[in-house]
Amino acid sequence: MAPGSRGRWSFFLLAVLGLVHVGRSRALTTTISHQECVFEEVGYDGDLVTGSFVVIDHGLAWADEPGVELVVTSPTGTKVISITANEGQKFEFRAHQSGLYKFCFNNPGPTPETISFHIHVGHIPGIADLAKDEHLKPVNVKIAQLREALAAVSSEQIYLKARDHRHRLTNESTNRRLVAYTVGEYVCLVGVSIGQVYLIRKLFDKRLGYNRV
Amino acid sequence: MDGMGRLRWCVAVMGLLLVWGSGAQAVQFEVSSRTTKCIAEEIQSHVVVVGDYKIVHSDEAHKVTVKVTSPYGNQLHYQENVQSGQFAFTTSESGNFMACFWILNAPPTAVINVALDWKTGVAAKDWASIAKKDKLDGMELELRKLEEAVDSIHSEMLYLREREAEMRDLNELTNSRVAWFGIMSLLVCLGVAGWQLWHLKTFFERKKLL
Repeated sequence: MAPGSRGRWSFFLLAVLGLVHVGRSRALTTTISHQECVFEEVGYDGDLVTGSFVVIDHGLAWADEPGVELVVTSPTGTKVISITANEGQKFEFRAHQSGLYKFCFNNPGPTPETISFHIHVGHIPGIADLAKDEHLKPVNVKIAQLREALAAVSSEQIYLKARDHRHRLTNESTNRRLVAYTVGEYVCLVGVSIGQVYLIRKLFDKRLGYNRV
Repeated sequence: MDGMGRLRWCVAVMGLLLVWGSGAQAVQFEVSSRTTKCIAEEIQSHVVVVGDYKIVHSDEAHKVTVKVTSPYGNQLHYQENVQSGQFAFTTSESGNFMACFWILNAPPTAVINVALDWKTGVAAKDWASIAKKDKLDGMELELRKLEEAVDSIHSEMLYLREREAEMRDLNELTNSRVAWFGIMSLLVCLGVAGWQLWHLKTFFERKKLL
């Protein structure tokens, strides 16, 4: 292989195996009874971990929700972030160690809640990586920054989508409740008025009976 | 390439593999033997979904059962008592696709860590074969991926806009229903009151009280 193409080959290999997760437009939904924990691997220290979670359905008939608490624990067991949110929230933190981070969602309320969450770990090669690795050029850093910017847009979109899902469920529930309660109201009204007429008739029949006697 | 150069090149590539390979991310969660853990995602139709699951950090030979279902209840993938596996499908309807994991026949205190790598759309594409087919350079491949990402962001935006339009229609329907049902409520009330009066009047006239 000629020396020039050797550089191209290793570049090609490392890009192919780079497993770049760009535009990873996904939010996962899961139902929590008391606690659900998810683990996410952070490859390098200094990586920026961003994400969001939205409470989609809280299983209660009224709007007074207890909310969901997110607790993030680092690989050494220290608590990194703790957030309580009623409807949902975005979060971000810079990881100081690499390793497996634990994201725990706690549900303090009585009913199971369904949440939709998204976690993204972003890595941009720094100057130290550039110096260490001869195949990494400044253009790679720029591409990585562009990739992370796109991931931020995608992340915002995922949050919007989850909130839209929640609003849609509320609206459909409102519509269903409206129809059901109105029909129930009419049935009750008609039933109660027939009952009233019947009782009044019975009252007067008895009175007449007494008068005759 | 001479022997030393080749060795150095191999070491460099291996080093890079380790560095870049750890950029892969999978969601890990615990499955205990009493409960079923389900992870769902809302996906549009005609999207490629690729999933890869395996049990991590397991000393004993625990096995897990997997089931992947479509929004209409069709079973897309089912494996009983396996330690790892993968599935791939193209969605034919849009909605909530769910992957459920549970343990059969295990002691009640067993807890298993399952790592699920769930990729949809852009991330699910086989970039290795695309790079080979189109003979793409490393940087060109990255830029192609970015281009696909921008396309997917755009189509998600359009999808969000459609959903918002549907929700707006639903809201306007609810609003007009509130008005109509309010008026009908009033009419039903007046009608029923009128009937009561008429019925009792004829009743009392019949009983010669009026």
